[in-house]
Amino acid sequence: MSIIAKTSGDGRLVRISINGRFDFSQHANFRNTYTIEDAPYRCYEIDLSNVPYMDSSALGMLLVLRERAGGDKADITLVGFNDEIGQILNISHFENLFKLERPQAA
Amino acid sequence: MSATQTKLQTSKAIGRALIADDELSNRVILKALLKKLGYEVSMAENGAEAVELFEIESIDMVFMDIMMPVMDGYIATEKIKEAAGEKFIPVIFLTAMTDESALSRCIEVGGDDFLTKPFSHTVLAAKIKAMERIQELHHDVITLYSRMHRDEEIAEEVFSGAVIAGNVALDHIRQLVRPASIFSGDILLTAYAPSHDLHVLMGDFTGHGLAAALGALPASEVFRSMTAKGFSPQQILQGINNKLNTLLPTGMFLAAQFVKISNTLDQVTAFNCGMPDFFLLDGKTRVIKHRISSRSLPLGITSEISFHDAAVHIRTQYNDHVLLATDGVSEARNHDGEYFGIERLENSITHSYDDDYILNTVSRILEDFCLDAPQDDDISLAEIPLIPELLPAWDLNSLHNDNIKQTSDNPSQEHESNSVEFHITLRGSQLRQADPVPMLINYIQEMIGLHEHRRPLFTILTELFVNALDHGVLGLDSNIKTGPEGFTRYFEERERLLNELKDGFIRIGLHIHPFEQGGKMVIQIEDSGIGFNFSNRQSTDESASLKLSGRGIQLIQGLCESIKYEKPGNKAEVIYVWQE
Repeated sequence: MSIIAKTSGDGRLVRISINGRFDFSQHANFRNTYTIEDAPYRCYEIDLSNVPYMDSSALGMLLVLRERAGGDKADITLVGFNDEIGQILNISHFENLFKLERPQAA
Repeated sequence: MSATQTKLQTSKAIGRALIADDELSNRVILKALLKKLGYEVSMAENGAEAVELFEIESIDMVFMDIMMPVMDGYIATEKIKEAAGEKFIPVIFLTAMTDESALSRCIEVGGDDFLTKPFSHTVLAAKIKAMERIQELHHDVITLYSRMHRDEEIAEEVFSGAVIAGNVALDHIRQLVRPASIFSGDILLTAYAPSHDLHVLMGDFTGHGLAAALGALPASEVFRSMTAKGFSPQQILQGINNKLNTLLPTGMFLAAQFVKISNTLDQVTAFNCGMPDFFLLDGKTRVIKHRISSRSLPLGITSEISFHDAAVHIRTQYNDHVLLATDGVSEARNHDGEYFGIERLENSITHSYDDDYILNTVSRILEDFCLDAPQDDDISLAEIPLIPELLPAWDLNSLHNDNIKQTSDNPSQEHESNSVEFHITLRGSQLRQADPVPMLINYIQEMIGLHEHRRPLFTILTELFVNALDHGVLGLDSNIKTGPEGFTRYFEERERLLNELKDGFIRIGLHIHPFEQGGKMVIQIEDSGIGFNFSNRQSTDESASLKLSGRGIQLIQGLCESIKYEKPGNKAEVIYVWQE
């Protein structure tokens, strides 16, 4: 259960890797990965490859980040999610709000 | 109790300590130390005495020897901890024993710390201080917890009063609601439209508990008031969406399943906004006839969303069942962390049992699966059988007869000077966006009341408007509806034509003539279409008119005084009469 954020050399891209169940218990950790001042100027890549399960409060946290990062102008990509999470994103039609990068079939 | 309190205040005691030790010298030395630290002291010579004293006095901390006659310190500690219940009363063992297993047993039986004799007074004083700190924390937690619990209970009452109490048709809708905490973030709302259509919404707010349920109040308010005013499901979803988008913080939203069940029970309009699939089933064979998948974002995320494309129109039959379910069902887990899953859900649906309600079977299988495993999310299911009892009784004949009687009694009592008249014309894209019927009804009611006539008027105006739009302006042919896929095709075609609509108009005129006791309303509706062969519609042959004109016109004929079409068939005039 951890969240690691790494900012690229030029400070434009933030990669956030989440480990473990992505639910409300991660709220504070996830919130700490971005600052309100910087959020609008950055692109975000959320790595979900180590997340077995995600609930609706996680979707909510992603929406908060999206708003902080400029709402409709936000550039946020979700990568590496498993089929179950893909389904949750699909059901919620989150492809309208985030870039979804489906993992390559093995 | 009050005597102790007075004593506490006068001597500034910070609490009462209980010493259990069979040796007098130990008791005396410890008592002196505790007095110095500000404690009142009670003393027992063995475990049994200690337990007895603990039960009659209000003790805050216990110092316990292990080896004592009658009852040893281990047993006494177990009994004291049991008697203390939720309250945190620290028990510190003071013993000459140094054997590690003896010491660790002190903690196992419920003790909080131990010290081997002889002990330094400074160390004991420090330990007491640490225990006081934990005690305070414990007290705070208990207070906070009980306050939260009370708040939740109050909120729960408000919630059930405002959100659940307004529901209708619950005698026939079967529900299963298993909240993860006192409060469920899931809501089930039901209401009748003026047309007697039934609207049902199953919603799931982000997260669960009190915070999740907060949005339920505004959502249910919008749902009920807009349904009662006759708005379409699309408009209601839009209304809830906009309201929640303004009210809720980002990150909180409502996923929803919405069904409109037509007053004729043969048509369901279904919406799924960010929820798992829901089902239309054959009530008898339990075959899944339709899965309704999510076609839209959940509500409350963005105001730039249209629900027009999200509608699924399904032709239904008597005793079909609609089964709604939140994701808590498929995501319920058993002790091994295994999910119930969609496959198990569908299997339990098609499983044949003899129950009238499929939900009973599903909930039994779900319960067997989860047993008493901890529940992560709210679980809700609702099942709606499409049977006549679901809808409110609507006595067509009595309305009709009243009207006829009324006209023959008061044929010439019109007060022309009091008559009201107005027109509305909708053009092109306005026809796509606006449903003028709720607005017209509100206008009529504001001017002349007629509250009891809301439903029939609503039906007449809606049928006229839909006919004018579908068959007049859009030129749709009812015959498309026939055949198994025809129904869906009809609505897809309608949606497509509406989106492309640029020209065309519908003009509605209302002339209201009050009588002494009652009145007459002349409704004229004209559309830009080419008209139709209205002579067929006015056929006196009952069966022919039934076949050609469809249910809409039939319904209007049943409700009003007269209906006539003007050449070339794009103008209709309906006369509705009432008495007060």
